[in-house]
Amino acid sequence: MPNPHNVAVVAEQFHGSLQQITSELIGAARFLSEKLGTGVSCFLLGHEITQLAERLVHQGADEVIVIDAPQLKEYATLTYRRAVIGILEHLGTPPQIVLMGSTTIGRDLAPRIAAYLETGLTADCTEFDIGDYEHKGKADPSKTGNFKNILYAIRPSFGESLKARILGPWKNPQMATARIGVVQALPLDTSRKGKIYNISVNFKQEDLRIKVLKTVRDVSVSVNLTEAKVIVSGGYGLGEPEGFEVVRDLASVFKNSVVGASRRAVDSSWIGYAHQVGQTGKTVRPDIYIALGISGAIQHRVGMANSKLIIAVNKDADAPILKFAHYGIVGDLYQVAPLLKKALIKMGKEKVQ
Amino acid sequence: MPDTSSKAGVNPDGTIDRARAKRMLNPFDRYALQKALEIKRDSGAEVTCVAMGPPPAVEVLIEAFEHGADYGILLTDKRLAASDTLATAYALHKVVHYLGDFDVILTGLQTTDGDTAQVGPQIAERLNIPQITYCEHLSISGRIFKGQRIVEGGNQEIEVHLPVLITVANSATPLDYKRFADVAAVKEFLRHPEERDKRIRTVSLDTIGANPNRTGLLGSPTVVGKTWKIGDVGGSCIVFKGESIEREVDELMERLRTDGRGVEELINA
Repeated sequence: MPNPHNVAVVAEQFHGSLQQITSELIGAARFLSEKLGTGVSCFLLGHEITQLAERLVHQGADEVIVIDAPQLKEYATLTYRRAVIGILEHLGTPPQIVLMGSTTIGRDLAPRIAAYLETGLTADCTEFDIGDYEHKGKADPSKTGNFKNILYAIRPSFGESLKARILGPWKNPQMATARIGVVQALPLDTSRKGKIYNISVNFKQEDLRIKVLKTVRDVSVSVNLTEAKVIVSGGYGLGEPEGFEVVRDLASVFKNSVVGASRRAVDSSWIGYAHQVGQTGKTVRPDIYIALGISGAIQHRVGMANSKLIIAVNKDADAPILKFAHYGIVGDLYQVAPLLKKALIKMGKEKVQ
Repeated sequence: MPDTSSKAGVNPDGTIDRARAKRMLNPFDRYALQKALEIKRDSGAEVTCVAMGPPPAVEVLIEAFEHGADYGILLTDKRLAASDTLATAYALHKVVHYLGDFDVILTGLQTTDGDTAQVGPQIAERLNIPQITYCEHLSISGRIFKGQRIVEGGNQEIEVHLPVLITVANSATPLDYKRFADVAAVKEFLRHPEERDKRIRTVSLDTIGANPNRTGLLGSPTVVGKTWKIGDVGGSCIVFKGESIEREVDELMERLRTDGRGVEELINA
C-alpha cells in the first residue's frame, strides 16, 4: 500500500468550521500524490474538532491525524507549532511534501515549522507539480545531483512580473503554502473511506507563552477579496469618500461581488485597508474586475492584472490602465457607472427570458 | 531590496541584478520603522535598524536615520549572496545575538520583491521567542506586550511577555513617520567619521560568528529552478471613447454580449 503520509496537508479550521483553503490544499495534494503513487495525509488541530475529520476524507484525504486539545481551542503560533511538530515526530519519517494555506494562520505557522526542521518553504504558490531536477551547482558542489520526483512549487515573483519554480530537493518535507482560490478542490465524495486517528502531544511551558485574549471573526461581513467572483474597485479618481457609494452600487449588480480600492483611496481614509488591492494590499484574480477612477500604476496592476476580465473607466485617455485592461471607457465615472449598472441589469434580465 | 518601480538592474530576461538595481527601503518596512519610532517616543527605547545586503545598502540605514532611528548595522558579506528565507533568517538572528539585549524586534509584513513574509517568523523561531504577525495595534506596559493581529475577517488580541518579534501590518498606522525626521542632524553626523562609526556598524559573517555554510547558496534549502516572464496580461485594450457616454456604454455592452466571457452569468437575477 502506498505510504499515505507522503503528501501532507495542515488543515485549517476556525471555531469548528473547516476553511475553504483546506479543501483546495487537499485537491492539490491528491494531484501530487497520484503522480507520486502515494497518499494524502491531513493534520487536523483544534479542540472538539474530531468530527471534522470525516469531511477531510470526503474532500480527498486518505488519513487524518487529529490532535484535539483544549490548548488548541484558539489558534496561537506556539501551541499549533508544537502540535504540528508532534505529528511529524509521531510519523518518524517526514512526509515528502507538506502544504499549508497562505492565510494569516499558514503564513504565521509554516515559516516556524520550516525553520525548526531546517527545511525549505515556498510561499504563496499558485501551482504545484512533480518533476525532476538536476542541480549542477558550481558554487555548492556538495549539493550537486539528479533529483527525481520532487515538488515543483510555482509562484509569482518580483511584483508578479515573473513566475518562478522553486525546488527544495535536498530535504524532506518540501514545504509550501498556497494562495486561496487558485488550486482546485475536488468534488465532495461522501463514499470515500479513510483512516482517522487521534494522537496527543505534550505541551511545554514555553508553548504557552502566547495568550489569546480574544478572537473576533465575522466571516459574513469580511471583505473577501480573494474569494469574490467580481470586484468593483474605486480609486483616487472618485475624488471623495462618498464616491464609494457609486462603487458599491455597481458591485450590487453582481453575484458574489465585493468592493476593492486602490492604495491612494485607502491612504486617503476613504475606505478601510481590508479593501486594498495591489502590491501592499491583496492580490486578486476575480472573473470580473471593474476599476473606477484607478490609473493603474504598477503597484495596483500587480495585484489585479491576472483578473479574467478587466473593465476600466477613467477620465484620462492616457491612464496606464487603459493599456492593459480588456475594455476601457474614457469618461466621467459618475456618468458611466449608473449607465453601466442599468445596462448590466438589463443584460441579466435578458438572460432570464 | 531592489526598487521595483525602477528599471535599473532589470535584466532582459526579467530577472533582477541586485548589484545594479536601485536600492530602497522595503515599503512594508516603513510601517515597522514607524511603529518602532512610536515605541521610542512613548518609552524612550533605542531603535536599531538592521540591514543585510551589499555595501551600498547603507543608504537604507541612512534613510532610517533620517526618520529617527538611533543606530544602524549593516551585515554585508559576499557569502550571503543567493540566501533564501531560511538562510537570511539564520544570518539575521546571528546579528541579533551579536547586538545583545533587545525587547521588541519589528519587521515589515513582507517584502515587495519576494513577498514571502517568512523571514520574521523564522528569526523568531531561531531566537525561540513568541511572535505576533500581521500586528496592527500594540501597547507595552512593563514587560507585558499586547498586540492585535489581523485574521481573515477579523482580529485577534494577544498578550505575551517581552521579548517578542512582531511583523507590522501596513494597516497598523497611517504612514506619517516623516514627522520624526531630522534630516539636517543626520547630514551633520555623517560628516564626522567618528560619530558616523558610532551610529553605523558594518559587520561580516565572521564578526557576528555566523557559520558561512548556513548562509548563501550553501545554507539555502531551496533553489529557483526556472523563472519565466508572465505574458503581458490583458493584451491590447479595446477603448471606447467618442461623442457620448451612452454610446460608449452601448458599445461596451455589445462586446460583453458577444465575446463569450459569460458576464451575464455573474449578474444577479
